[in-house]
Amino acid sequence: MIDWAYMWEAVPDLINGLGMTLLVSFLAIIFSLLAGAVGCALRVSSVKALNYLIAAYVEFIRGTPYLVQVFFVFYGLPSLGLKLSIFWSGVVALSIWASAFHIESFRAGLTSVSKDIRNASASLGLRAWHHGLFVVFPIAARSALPSTLNTVVSTIKNSAYLQAIGLVELTFVAVDRIAYEFRSIEMFLAICVIYLAVVLVVSALGHRLERRLDRPYVGR
Amino acid sequence: MSEASGDQVGIQFRKVNKWFGSMHVLCDIDLDVASGEKVVVCGPSGSGKSTMIRCINHLEEYQSGSIVVDGIEVNNHKANIDRVRRRVGMVFQNFNLYPHLTILDNCTLAQRWVRGKSRAEANELAMHYLERVRIPDQAHKYPSQLSGGQQQRVAIARSLCMSPEIMLFDEPTSALDPELVREVLDTMAELAGEGMTMVCVTHEMGFARQVADRVIFMDQGSVIESAPPNEFFDNPREERTQRFLSQILH
Repeated sequence: MIDWAYMWEAVPDLINGLGMTLLVSFLAIIFSLLAGAVGCALRVSSVKALNYLIAAYVEFIRGTPYLVQVFFVFYGLPSLGLKLSIFWSGVVALSIWASAFHIESFRAGLTSVSKDIRNASASLGLRAWHHGLFVVFPIAARSALPSTLNTVVSTIKNSAYLQAIGLVELTFVAVDRIAYEFRSIEMFLAICVIYLAVVLVVSALGHRLERRLDRPYVGR
Repeated sequence: MSEASGDQVGIQFRKVNKWFGSMHVLCDIDLDVASGEKVVVCGPSGSGKSTMIRCINHLEEYQSGSIVVDGIEVNNHKANIDRVRRRVGMVFQNFNLYPHLTILDNCTLAQRWVRGKSRAEANELAMHYLERVRIPDQAHKYPSQLSGGQQQRVAIARSLCMSPEIMLFDEPTSALDPELVREVLDTMAELAGEGMTMVCVTHEMGFARQVADRVIFMDQGSVIESAPPNEFFDNPREERTQRFLSQILH
């Protein structure tokens, strides 16, 4: 049977863990979106070497297990002279993982911008950066949004892996209590509900944004 | 043939050549378009007519010869390209409106960012031209909510908002359903009546007869024939022109 009283009692602890989950995810989402934008720009730039470099980066991240990447950052980087705290190892690993996926989403967004529209902007005398900012970006963002949202949600969920390097986030708190008190069904059920609630809120925000960006394109 | 007279020359092509790889798409093009003149360019597909007019505002580069627009050499200098594009507006086969912006914003984006106008000023001019192309009531809709003919008229208004002296039309009615062609041609004819210099790639021969001062026939990258519309349609000199006309005039 499920001990609801025990679950209730654990809530303050779990809320603390959730705070860390949200913090590490929030930072990783921001950093990965920025890195994704820069990476995408390099991926489609006219410098061939950079194209290949970014393509290789994406393949490497997509082709290796995320948990291994986390261990690589936390246990591996120190021997290369880069020692990060548990917290920053987590942020970095999560950002590295998510940015690879953002690069690909953004690139897909760019392909949805018709090449002809560049000519229209040129004939009107718009500068390349005006065209990029006011034309390419909004059109590309709209078509990149669904898959970007997907990666954002996965970033939050993947923060759970960081318990493996000892980051005291939501999953860590649950597993820690289970190690002492053996109430696994209560703890896992509780954190599932919490993760789900967070993800649903983020998805709802994302869908609102999607509808907002969609407005111009919807027909009569 | 109405040769351009002295400093009235709007557009001047001199021995212009262009290659796409090994394909010679423009061969020794010589062409003068006087200020205020309306020129219709026709020819089979792949004859280089679109490429030719896209060279005028440097959407395409050319490899040799020279193009001068209102005294400005069209070359790779950014300053020259900017100056030419200030004077030259362009309308495309596929409208190329900004799908994420309202009709009004389509017409104001460049005014505000290229000309530095305030939103109010830009809106006022945009509404002025939207009225002229007779769709002011669509100003707050998005391109996808308009018919092709309406979209093309918006594209014309958007260009006019930049107060060009020369308008280029690259097959402006080719992507339209037949019943929508008229409204776009009427808009263009009105513009012609107001003294705009126009170069128009089109197969609308009725429009050419009605509006053009001169019709040019291109084939395989060369200008084959250039004559006033009556002469061009009734007494074409070149055999290739005759063949082309017999194919399209039914």
